[in-house]
Amino acid sequence: MDNFDAELASETSRRRFLRHAALGTAGLAAAPALAQQLVDLKLPGGNAERPMTSAFPGKGSMILQRVHPPLLETPMDVFDKSVFTPNDQFFVRWHWADIPTSIDVETFRLNVFGHVNRPLSISLAQLLRLPRVEMAAVNQCSGNSRGLFQPRVAGAQWGNGAMGNAKWLGVRLRDVLDLAGVKTGAVQVRFGALDQPVVADAPDFEKALDIDHARDGEVMIAFGMNGEQLPLLNGFPCRLIVPGWYSTYWVKMLNSIEVLPGPDDQYWMAKAYKIPATPGANVAPGARDFPTVPINRMIPRSWMTSLPDGQTIAYEASIPVGGIAMGGDCGVAKVDVSSDGGRTWYRTTLGADEGRYSFRRWDGRVPLRRGANPIMVRCWNTNGVAQPMKPIWNPGGFMRGNIETTTIIAA
Amino acid sequence: MKTPSPGIMAAGLIGLTGIILVSIGAPSSRKAPAPISETSEPAPPTSVSARGFSLASTSVDLPVDDATYPDGPHADVINANCTSCHSASMALTQPALSADQWKATVTKMREVYKAPVAEKDVDAIVAYLTAMPSQKAAPATGKAQDPDPKVAPDVSGGTG
Repeated sequence: MDNFDAELASETSRRRFLRHAALGTAGLAAAPALAQQLVDLKLPGGNAERPMTSAFPGKGSMILQRVHPPLLETPMDVFDKSVFTPNDQFFVRWHWADIPTSIDVETFRLNVFGHVNRPLSISLAQLLRLPRVEMAAVNQCSGNSRGLFQPRVAGAQWGNGAMGNAKWLGVRLRDVLDLAGVKTGAVQVRFGALDQPVVADAPDFEKALDIDHARDGEVMIAFGMNGEQLPLLNGFPCRLIVPGWYSTYWVKMLNSIEVLPGPDDQYWMAKAYKIPATPGANVAPGARDFPTVPINRMIPRSWMTSLPDGQTIAYEASIPVGGIAMGGDCGVAKVDVSSDGGRTWYRTTLGADEGRYSFRRWDGRVPLRRGANPIMVRCWNTNGVAQPMKPIWNPGGFMRGNIETTTIIAA
Repeated sequence: MKTPSPGIMAAGLIGLTGIILVSIGAPSSRKAPAPISETSEPAPPTSVSARGFSLASTSVDLPVDDATYPDGPHADVINANCTSCHSASMALTQPALSADQWKATVTKMREVYKAPVAEKDVDAIVAYLTAMPSQKAAPATGKAQDPDPKVAPDVSGGTG
């Protein structure tokens, strides 16, 4: 990092420049045939069919939840092929529809300002020269599996595929903050991005972390994803990586790092993405006026992916089963599997350990009966937390983590 | 996105004004129309690289959603009000919600997300939403916590 040109930190001018920068052709998107086939997410109560689409740039076959702004879900069979989710099938979630469609890597700047000694305007060429780290980490939407809540709740009606695992390459946020020189009295760091609300005065999407968390050496600014640059829809040219925390903090198209001398009291921290301040974020359906806190650390989860839910197979006395697990904010300790509704559990073998924030493969074998076999998977994480049998409920549809069941019919 | 301090802003303007004016011409506050035609071959994307990793400039086209809300009472009102910020599918894929829940959602769109929806249109929009065929779906079945169909308005702020 030679000279950081503080004068380049003119946010307003830079953003306007990016918005208007013409790179190549900028014609209107042809309206491709969006719907290719339908997939049934099997959400309780129905209205669960969604089209598959390959119409989005940088994206292969995805479950289409919403075109505008994009909500794209990863099909579950993708998770059976590798613990790393391919970039072109990694889930996509945007809040606001004004998403820059052109990014010029020479003019893009990442601005660091606020309660610091030296405001910075960092070019991508400079970012690439900083000390590097690479880490595998699961990026999971706060509302992943919201569509499975009972009673159902409003919001994006995700199945289980609003998540993915990648090897993130980038720099430590701590190193960037240290270059700027955080002043005494800093409390939080707020992260902003290039996407914008489409209507005036609406709250721009920004999230904040406590200063000690931001400086823990794990939180990253990533420019690489599974060895390649990020797809634009996953946050090109760089995004925040907050290992072990829900995706709402993993700000995409990150271009603003603001050190705050007090807590962020704006909408997206103070009002949105709040969970009940109760064990497991659980309240009784219909509860109201409970205290809330910003969603934060993830919890253990696991899925069977070797066969789709509802699959009919020829009867055998036992079958191999496998899938993925995540520890949440720590590693996976063990995964057990049951085919009799949780009465009998069988040990599974864990696959390669790619790091404590990564998905981990599990494989095992369960006996079958003729008819429907409810196959359940249960993960314990290295903090000793196990997935509960009983689902939670909260009005935001956040933090589902109970044991999931995949029903296999042996005929 | 917080605006940087006036000092930084001023310095930035001095440093960049010339470049920006040449580069972009007259600024406007929202998206400029796309050029109708490009006569020359597009240049290869610029890139930056260091220490064995490269980043290339990227330009994409996002699919346009021209889907509208299906016919029904007040479809004209919801189509006029509720397709620019988000696809109609956002509402069409929702589970069965009560009129109170729908009203709370429309109110949140107006008051929190600043959707330019006239107050006089709110009741018609809620009437359309509650009458969508998907709202008459079979009640949720399952074993989760003895579900109570009466659900309080979302106090979590939602989204995700």
